[in-house]
Formats: sequence, C-alpha cells, structure tokens
Amino acid sequence: MLQVSVYRYNPETDKKPYMQDFEIDTKGKDIMVLDVLHLIKEKDNGMSYRRSCREGVCGSDGLNMNGKNGLACITPVSDVVKNNKLIIRPLPGLPVIRDLVVDMSLFYKQYERIKPFLINDTPEPAIERLQTPEDREKLDGLYECILCACCSTACPSFWWNPDKFVGPSGLLQAYRFLIDSRDTATKERLAELDDPFSVFRCHGIMNCVAVCPKGLNPTRAIGNIRGMLLNNAT
Amino acid sequence: MKSNRPVNLDLSTIKFPLSALASITHRISGVILFVGLIFMFWAFDVSLSSPAGFDSVKTTLQDNFLAKFVLWGMLTALGYHCLAGVKHIIMDFDIGVNLENGHTMSQVVFILAAVLAVLAGVWVW
Ligand code: HEM
Ligand code: SF4
Repeated sequence: MLQVSVYRYNPETDKKPYMQDFEIDTKGKDIMVLDVLHLIKEKDNGMSYRRSCREGVCGSDGLNMNGKNGLACITPVSDVVKNNKLIIRPLPGLPVIRDLVVDMSLFYKQYERIKPFLINDTPEPAIERLQTPEDREKLDGLYECILCACCSTACPSFWWNPDKFVGPSGLLQAYRFLIDSRDTATKERLAELDDPFSVFRCHGIMNCVAVCPKGLNPTRAIGNIRGMLLNNAT
Repeated sequence: MKSNRPVNLDLSTIKFPLSALASITHRISGVILFVGLIFMFWAFDVSLSSPAGFDSVKTTLQDNFLAKFVLWGMLTALGYHCLAGVKHIIMDFDIGVNLENGHTMSQVVFILAAVLAVLAGVWVW
C-alpha cells in the first residue's frame, strides 16, 4: 500500500487547506502519479485536479510531487517516491481554487504580455513565409514548451513578483519569437522587456531547468535575451 | 471568495537543486557583507583617528574572540560571494548554463569557499 498525502481545499467548506492521507493499492505496478489521483478519486469523488491528454502533451496536470514540480501523467511513482510516501501539492505560488487546481491567470497574463505570435510587417507572400533549415533550428528547445507552468511556479523570482517578472516560461517564449527569422518586431519586443523586473529578476537559480518536463532550458533563453538587450543598448 | 484563496508556498515542502542553494547563499553572503562593512568601516575609522585608536583596534583583533569571529565571518562571506559572483559571470558568457554544469559549478563554488573559510580561519587566529 502506497502512503499518499494530498493537499485538500474546498472553498465552500474549508477555512484553510489541509493534508489528507490515503492508502492506495498500486497492485505492485509502477503506475503514474496521475493514476494514483484517479484511484483517490474513486475513494473520494470530490478530489479535484486538472488533466486532459494524460500523456505529457497538454500540460494540464502540473503538480508538486514530493517537493518537485512535474506532470503527474508522465511521472512514475518510482521517480518521486522514497520510503513509500507520496506527497502531492498544487503548483507553488499561485492561488488555489480547489484541491490541486490553481488559478493560472497571472501565468497567462505574463504569456500574453510577450505577444506569443509572429509579427511581420512585410507584404505577405503568396504561399508562406520560408525559413532556412539553420534558422528553423534556432527554434529547437523553445517551441516545444507546453505552458504547463511547472517552471514559473518553481521560480522564487516569480513567487515574489508574479505581476512584474515575466518568469521562465514566458521568457522562453519571448526568446522563441525574438530569434524567429520571420519575425520583424525584434526591437519592439526587446523594448517591452527592457526594465529592471521583466527579465533581470532572474538570478540563475535554475529551478526552472531542474523541473521542466520537456527538458527545456529557460535559464539559457533568459541569458540570451539579456545578451540581446545589452547589444541593443550599445 | 477570490481574494482569500490560499497559496501553496511552504518552502519546507519544496525541493531545491544545488544551484538554488548556491543562489540563496550568494544573497545571504551579500547581506552579511553589507552589514559587516558597517563594523569594518567603524573599526577603520577608529584605527585612523589616533595612534591610541590604532592600537586599540589592533589589540582587539588580536585578543577578542568576537572581533576575530566577525572578521573571519566577513572574509568567509566575501570568499563565497566572490566565487559565486565569478560563477554568475561565467554563466553570463553563456558557459555551462545547463543542469549538469550548473550543479558542478555550484559544487566547486561551495568547496572552494570552504577552503577559503579554513584559510581565513588560520590567518585570523
Ligand atoms: C564587499 C562588498 C560587496 C557587497 C556588500 C556585496 C553585496 C551584494 C548584494 C547585497 C547582492 C544582492 C544579492 C542578490 O540580489 O541575490 C550582491 C549581488 C551580486 N554580487 Fe556582490 N557584494 C560585494 C562584493 C562583490 C564582489 C567582489 C563580487 C565579484 C565577484 C560580487 C558579485 C556579485 C554578483 C555577480 C551579484 C549578482 C547576483 C545575482 O544576480 O543574483 N559582489 N552583492
Ligand atoms: S518551459 Fe518547460 S516547465 Fe516551463 S511551461 Fe514550458 S514546458 Fe512547462
């Protein structure tokens, strides 16, 4: 029997969140943490969490499992469990709506801020805007982001300034459009980020790199943006 | 209802990689240096005020454990702070900005800082 301790909070009945313990029979199999949550839901219908694709594509089930953020659907129990104990908490730093469901508004607001779409003021070509394979390669390690928020909610700088610091996820996306050869708004994008908070709250803590379920490297992308900001200023 | 939503942010429940511990130690050492410098400037001022003042600072630093400890703490914090600062500068050149190297560089910073702490102790006492 796996000992599971889950963060519970129902705004209609609970004044404060609390941890609830469950004993879960994994039938000797190394199941995913999301499967554990399903088994808990069988015992307690009210258990709330987000999930959709259940295979690490949609980014809905970002959670804090035994202290580390990740996607419950692709995290085997054996990856996080020590001493037969699994502690599941919501993503840190964001307001909890209910149980493991957090309010992602601030996270999305920062994403919206970096204008996550191509801007190109040259006349539209007849078919499509082409890119050399070399230019396309520059997007690798950036376009794969699924906006699960594991990184930004693991970042102390984002915890203290979620309204002013864009955060690792948003900045990774910002860089994805900054270096896209088809985007012509590089200067404007950099101007939007050129203040003491948006980019420069990053202290190279690297929690983001440690938790990203897609193996991406927001710290490096942020360093590259800094480089572009410095070059732009000189 | 919206305004009083709880937030899960109990730091004791969150795991931090070594690079994160290196970062928070960098900030702590920065604060120690800032506070410590007040005492250093004060001692410096006294030592420059008169020959008697110079002697009193000198003997205090030779005999008083607390004074020695403060000096050692300053040197240790400075050693760590500089090493972590160098790590930042290396990372600013886009060198080793990934999980493995970040871990290794943090380890190196901690080990060298510990060596400097011992050397500072030998020198002060
Ligand atoms: C003795 C005088 C010094 C004092 C009082 C001092 C103090 C501080 C303080 C309070 C911070 C802010 C910490 C933070 O935001 O995390 C800081 C950051 C920093 N210090 Fe120093 N420092 C001193 C010397 C040095 C030296 C000699 C170096 C060079 C190696 C250095 C390199 C840095 C770097 C690179 C940062 C930025 C850290 C970050 O972005 O997280 N400092 N310092
Ligand atoms: S960078 Fe990684 S952890 Fe951050 S939102 Fe994108 S996929 Fe999730």
